[in-house]
Amino acid sequence: MTSRADSSSSRKIRSRPDRIMRQSMENRLVHWLVALSTFALIFSGFGQMPMYARYGLAALPYMAWTADYHLTLTMHYLAGTALVFAIILHLVSTIATRRFTILPRRGDFRESAKIIAAMLGRGKEPVSHKYLAEQRLAYAFIGGNLLMVTITGLVKVVKNLPGIDMDPTLIFVATTLHNASAMLIVLGVLGHFAAFAIKANRNLLPAMLDGTVDRKYAEERHGLWYREIEKR
Amino acid sequence: MDDQMSRREFLARFAAAGAAGATTLALPKEALAYDSADVEQIGTFIDISKCIGCGVCTDACRSKNAARFPEPVDNIPDNWPTGTHEDWSDKRDLTDRLTPYNWSFIETVEVDGNALHIPRRCMHCDNPPCANLCPFSVKEKQANGAVVINEDGCMGGAKCRDVCAWSIPQRQAGVGLYMKLVPGLMGGGVMYKCDLCADLLEEGQPPACVSACPTGALQSGPKTEMSKLAEERAAEIGGYTYGITENGGTSTFYVSPVPFERIDEAISKRKEELPEPMRKTVPGMKPGVENFLDTANGIAAGYIIAPIAGVAAAAWAASKAWKGGTK
Repeated sequence: MTSRADSSSSRKIRSRPDRIMRQSMENRLVHWLVALSTFALIFSGFGQMPMYARYGLAALPYMAWTADYHLTLTMHYLAGTALVFAIILHLVSTIATRRFTILPRRGDFRESAKIIAAMLGRGKEPVSHKYLAEQRLAYAFIGGNLLMVTITGLVKVVKNLPGIDMDPTLIFVATTLHNASAMLIVLGVLGHFAAFAIKANRNLLPAMLDGTVDRKYAEERHGLWYREIEKR
Repeated sequence: MDDQMSRREFLARFAAAGAAGATTLALPKEALAYDSADVEQIGTFIDISKCIGCGVCTDACRSKNAARFPEPVDNIPDNWPTGTHEDWSDKRDLTDRLTPYNWSFIETVEVDGNALHIPRRCMHCDNPPCANLCPFSVKEKQANGAVVINEDGCMGGAKCRDVCAWSIPQRQAGVGLYMKLVPGLMGGGVMYKCDLCADLLEEGQPPACVSACPTGALQSGPKTEMSKLAEERAAEIGGYTYGITENGGTSTFYVSPVPFERIDEAISKRKEELPEPMRKTVPGMKPGVENFLDTANGIAAGYIIAPIAGVAAAAWAASKAWKGGTK
């Protein structure tokens, strides 16, 4: 089965000949919910480390609140619920509709190397499916760490409840994994931004706003996906 | 409070110390012990009406833990960018407040012209925010109820002190893990506090302060029994309890002949006389003080609602995809 984005693309192609539908409303909602909640979680999480009073952020105008553990903890909890909502929506919907195009495939590391080499002017970039091999790997990296940070975060939420006495070793392991996966997410987010330093990738930006990409770009870079939807 | 001890206090302390030593020696060890295998959590009952302020409990605590007191490097690095650090190593003799070198003390306050002596130290909470909110989870609540800091893993961020209802843990700079990493740039020392003599509890022995008390003002045993003792004693003297419900429940149960609001007011006055950084070394006694985690735990229900809403939204999205999708 194809995605709603794919199915609606034919309508879009008819109405806007230069554009092609790439991301459904659902995908965009999940992306922005994950993005905004993750930013709030990273910011409030560093506030819980504790860092903002020590390193002077709280001394800046209008930033005194950042040193308030009560506020940043509440922010962390609220943003956490938004992230859990987005992850469950994405996982259940993806499995139910069997849209696995973004999952890594065999040979993705090799293909990523070819794509990067092509960007550096060595060889020709292989034609891709809906996602480039490196995009599939990035999805797995960020998604895997988001799952880890969420599961360990939920353990920590349960541990904080009154009447719950959890094994200290389990708590230590959960906290260490939570901190480690959070740091890896920070790296992943930086990598995600860095990807847009490459001009060709900027063609994908509108896909997370109005859902579309340039038809010519899709044809050239995501030829396998383009031909698939053209057949319909 | 004056750091200098009065002659009367000195004599009381001297006499009580002798009495405590004699009592401890005279009692067979079994008389002080309880079977740790039968006991899940240990509680402490502190009867303020029986405390004479001798300070023997403080002395016993200091002797018992002396080997664990921090020995910082000679030139303690300043924290970047604040340019400060917290050093108590030249104030090791202070016994009238909590410091990294003094994990329990006697608070003496005057209420209606009567002096009250209140042994103070960690309350060992049922749901301790200090342990729950430690960023590295190097503080744990043990099965026996003791809340214990892993001094080898502590970075000294002092968040535990800020989220504690009584600001109990105290920081010493120039020691611990951060000195092996990037001292000055990250971390600030190690936090220290009473661990309820967790090692003694393991052996079925009471904490050192309890064993040393010459008047029976401090007692320890199964938590439920201690809590019951406190309530019975309060009813007997028409007094008041503290620690049963405070901060969501603790393992330390005080009984006082005067309301704790009055005691808290008296402590607050003492704190006001201290310079700002020193105020954190003197814990208050606000009745009904709330647990730092209450708000967060109130929101925690969101983690049940969010996945249900997520599944519902996914069902809606998937059904739309199925209807609109083509094979």
